[in-house]
Amino acid sequence: MSFDKIRDPRKIRHQIGDMECDYIYTAGVAGERFYIALRDEEKLLATRCEKCNITFMPPRLYCDNCFTELASFMEVPSKGVIESYTITYFDRDGQALPEPEILAFVKIDKTDGGLIHRIGEIKPESLKIGSKVTAVFEAKKERKGALTDIKYFKPA
Amino acid sequence: MTVAIIGIGCTSFNSVTAEVSFKEQMFEAAVKAYADAGVNAREDIGSFLTAAEDYWEGYSIFDEFVPDQLGAVLRSVCTIGGDGLLALANGTMQIETGLFDVVAIEAHSKASDMLTFDGILTHALDPVYNRAFNVHPYFIAGLEMQRYLHETKTTREQCAAVVVKNKRNAMDNPLAAFPADMTVDEVINSTMVSHPLTQRDISPLADGMIVIVLASEKKAKELSDHPIWIKGLGWCSDTPWLEARDWGAAGYTNLARDRAYKRADIKNPRKEFDFAEVDDYFSYKELQHLEALQLCEPGKAGKLAEAGEFNRDGAFPVNVSGGRLGAGNLLEGSALQSVLECVYQLRGHAGKRQIKNAKTALAQSWRGVPTASGCVAVLSNEN
Repeated sequence: MSFDKIRDPRKIRHQIGDMECDYIYTAGVAGERFYIALRDEEKLLATRCEKCNITFMPPRLYCDNCFTELASFMEVPSKGVIESYTITYFDRDGQALPEPEILAFVKIDKTDGGLIHRIGEIKPESLKIGSKVTAVFEAKKERKGALTDIKYFKPA
Repeated sequence: MTVAIIGIGCTSFNSVTAEVSFKEQMFEAAVKAYADAGVNAREDIGSFLTAAEDYWEGYSIFDEFVPDQLGAVLRSVCTIGGDGLLALANGTMQIETGLFDVVAIEAHSKASDMLTFDGILTHALDPVYNRAFNVHPYFIAGLEMQRYLHETKTTREQCAAVVVKNKRNAMDNPLAAFPADMTVDEVINSTMVSHPLTQRDISPLADGMIVIVLASEKKAKELSDHPIWIKGLGWCSDTPWLEARDWGAAGYTNLARDRAYKRADIKNPRKEFDFAEVDDYFSYKELQHLEALQLCEPGKAGKLAEAGEFNRDGAFPVNVSGGRLGAGNLLEGSALQSVLECVYQLRGHAGKRQIKNAKTALAQSWRGVPTASGCVAVLSNEN
C-alpha cells in the first residue's frame, strides 16, 4: 500500500547498521563445578533428585520436576549411548564447512541427560543410534574448563 | 469462549521487500485489518499487542517502535516475546477480563533486513553448553529429524512428501512467497544441510505482516457478518535444555493441545476438525505436530502424508495455505499466517483453495530451533 511507491530499484535506500553485543556468560555454581572437574580430574559431575529419581547431566542446582534445590554432586561415567546424530555441513554463519562435522546427543550412562558433542574415530556410514561411545579428553595442558576439554566421543 | 476474530489484514509475503520499511508494511496490514473489521483505530480499539523479538528486528527495546503505525500512540500497548498465537491468546484474555471490547494483535517478519540471521540464531543457543562448535544451529533439526525417523520408522521420502504438498498448496495462495511444483527427489537431492535434513526440508525466510482484530461477543455480533470464534487456546514451553529434551517428539504441544481441546470440548480431533494449519518450519515438524495433536496415530503421519491423506483434496487437509514451507517462514508471524488461513477458510473466502463446508479448524505454532515452545488454537464459524 501507500499512495506512491518506489518503482526504480536503483533508488532504494538503506542504512547499514550492526549491533555490537559482547557479553560474559556466567557458568553458575553448577557449571563451575562441572567444568573444573572436567578440566582437572577428567570427571563428569551430575546432580541428583532422589525424590523424582532424576540425575541431571549437565548438573543443575535445582530439580525442574519438583522444584527443589539440589545440593549433592556425584561422579558419573564419561561414556554413554548415541541417542541421535547428525552430519552437519554449514558453520554458524551459514558458510560451508571445509569438512562436515559429526555431532550427536550422547546420553550419559547412569544419568537422565547427556551432552551434545562431536563423534570421532568413526566413518559416517558406521554411525548408529544406540551405539556406545566414550569420551576422549584433551591433553591436560590444553584444557580450559570448557566443553571442548572433551575432544570428542569415540566408539567404545 | 466469548471472543471472535472480526478483522484480518496482511501484506503479501515476499523474499525481499526493500522498497518499504517495516513500519509502512505494518501500517498496510493494520489499515486493511481495521477496514475489514469496520473499526476506527483511534476510537474503537482499546488495546494493541504485538509479538516480536528484538534480535529479529535489529532494535533494542523494539516494542517502543510499534505504536505509531498501528494507530496505537497514547493507547494501551504491549509486546509479547513469543509467536503470534501467544499474542492472540493474550489479546483474547484481555477482552475476557472485560477491560476492552476490541483489541488488535500484530505479528510479522522483516527477515530480509537481517544480514546475519544464522549468527543471530546461534545466539539463541545456551552459551555455556551449546556454543562450543562452529556449526549452524540447524544441527538441532538434524538431530531431531534423525531421532524421529528412527523412533517412528518414518522415511526420508515421507518427510519430502510434506514439502511437495505444501509448496504445491502455495501455488493457489496468492499471498505465498515460495510456491513450487517440486518432486520428492528434488527435495531429497537438494543440498545437504545437516543429515538427514536437506535445504528443501527447511522453510525459507520471507517478509510479511499480519494484523488481526478481536472483539467481545457483543461487539463481534454488532460489527461483523462473519465472526470467527476462538473456541479454545493453549500454550506450553518445555525445558530449554537440549540435554533434557525428547528428541523424537514435539512434547511442548501436549499441554497446549489438552488445554485448547478441553476448552473447546474437542474429544475426537480428527473428526471434529475440518482441516488444520500446523507448524512446518521443517518438513518432519509437520509430521511430529500432527501426531502430537492426535490427528493421527503416533508414528503414522509420514505414511498418511505419502498416501495423500493431508493433501488439499485428501481426507484431512493440512496446511492448505502452503504453511511456512510454501507461504514463507515469517518468524513470529507464521503463527498468525496459520490463523489467517483458518479465517479465510471458515468465512468461505479462500477462493480456489476453499475447503467445502469448513466449520472448525485448528491452528498450531512452534517457534523454531532451538525453542521448545508452541501454542494451539481452535477456531470455528459457529459460536
